[in-house]
Amino acid sequence: MEKQSLSYIENQPALSRREFITIGGIVVAFLALPVVWIRTIVASNNDYIRARTKGLYQDDARAAVRVSHANKSVARYYREFGGEPLGHLSHELLHTSYINRTKGLVS
Amino acid sequence: MNVAPQTYRKGEIPGVIAIRASDCKGCDACKRHCPTGAIQGAFGATHSIDVDACLSCGQCLINCPFGAPYETADSVENVLARLRDRTVTVAGIIAPAVRVAIGEDFGLPAGTLATGKLYSAMKKAGFEIFDNNFAADLTIMEEGSEFIARARQAVFGEKGAHGEAAGPLPQFTSCCPAWVRFVETKYPALIPHLSSAKSPQQMAGAVAKTYGTKVWNKPADRLYTVGIMPCTAKKLEASRPEFNQAFLYNRRNNAAAGVAYPDVDAVLTTRDLSRLFKKLNIDLAAQKDSAGDTLLADYTGAGTIFGNTGGVMEAAVRTACAVITGKELTPLDFRPARGLKGVKSASVTLHDAKYSKDVTLHLAVVHNIAQNIDPLLRDVLAGTSPYHFIEVMNCPGGCVNGGGQPVYGNGSSWLGAIRPWFAWN
Repeated sequence: MEKQSLSYIENQPALSRREFITIGGIVVAFLALPVVWIRTIVASNNDYIRARTKGLYQDDARAAVRVSHANKSVARYYREFGGEPLGHLSHELLHTSYINRTKGLVS
Repeated sequence: MNVAPQTYRKGEIPGVIAIRASDCKGCDACKRHCPTGAIQGAFGATHSIDVDACLSCGQCLINCPFGAPYETADSVENVLARLRDRTVTVAGIIAPAVRVAIGEDFGLPAGTLATGKLYSAMKKAGFEIFDNNFAADLTIMEEGSEFIARARQAVFGEKGAHGEAAGPLPQFTSCCPAWVRFVETKYPALIPHLSSAKSPQQMAGAVAKTYGTKVWNKPADRLYTVGIMPCTAKKLEASRPEFNQAFLYNRRNNAAAGVAYPDVDAVLTTRDLSRLFKKLNIDLAAQKDSAGDTLLADYTGAGTIFGNTGGVMEAAVRTACAVITGKELTPLDFRPARGLKGVKSASVTLHDAKYSKDVTLHLAVVHNIAQNIDPLLRDVLAGTSPYHFIEVMNCPGGCVNGGGQPVYGNGSSWLGAIRPWFAWN
């Protein structure tokens, strides 16, 4: 019995240059999708902060009085009750002191 | 674990934020937002908070993709009980950043300015309006005067009216309770640099229970003050035991006896207030605009921008310019303080009318202290800091993005950002 020769010949890769570029392009496009998607999310990250910030600057822009020292009600507070900024009553009611919390406080 | 907290005094809330272990996935998203590294637990393991290091700022809470952090202190029921009690006047102290965010909980677009609607809804719920912007203007008067005193002492050797020395430069703002706690727990050497002015919330509480008794014609013990804040750390601030100055003042003037009361009785975050409105079936978006009724709701544009990063600086520059030079700042918009850059700096040269000399002030604005503060503080400690006045806010963007604001489903809350795309939603 004659010994059977087993020789396997693989198909030649039948991929033309065009096909290779097309397939490569599709793969790259799919790889790029999540990058674009994540970039969009990151870019919109601070949108709500900007929107709220804008809201407050709007409130400022449309205010009739835009400086604290011209607030008539604050002036009235000082006249009727508080005295003057950094005055005696201000130190009592509007100023405070801070404590060193690194030493371990007895709670 | 379970060691008694070391950095709190008796009466203070030992940490407003905690993590619900059943919801935590151990994804580490929160750690990026924590200014002090207080969040413990390895990647993949359930996280917990070291309350001694925690500032209670709530940044982890608004940025967690899974909603695992929660607030341990909730005053909604207490406030509702006081609102039902006809003998008590409940004053709601509304912070600036609340008016541009609370609409989001009632279907309005982000950033809608809803001051009038908020006033109406508050009145419907039974609150008296104390606009914290009034207290912000008061803060500028106090803190600005303090800064001018410190600057004139440094430049001209000026002493106070009684020969007392002003504090050192640079002066840090002290409105942000998380920042104050950050200094107290990590950089105690810088305490003299903090402005001694209270935060607007605490000024408001002290004024409401002294001067406010005349405005509303109510004795102080029948007044219940509620801070309505974009901030979880304000709950901790209000619980600090030294903040009962109104009681001490009233007792000295024979207008109080018996049990001491705090200046601010309760603090609700923006989210808490939405919850309260919803319990009372008040739809904020459907309200008509109304005005605040008393002078304590009267505010200026300088007071309202306190909620933005750079806002305190801008307001202070406007007033400092007028006080130092005798002329108003033109234009009033102080652009260098605006925007979301981590550290903003500016120099202004003002002609001091009192001494007829030009003074150049170097100013800095810092927010998102988790990323930006340490290099600046090292300079101050080394004595090489070029700045005279530094505004610090803990949260990125300032109070508008505070830990008590409506949670916006993006940022690192990526789960919230993709959830609308899920078929089952």
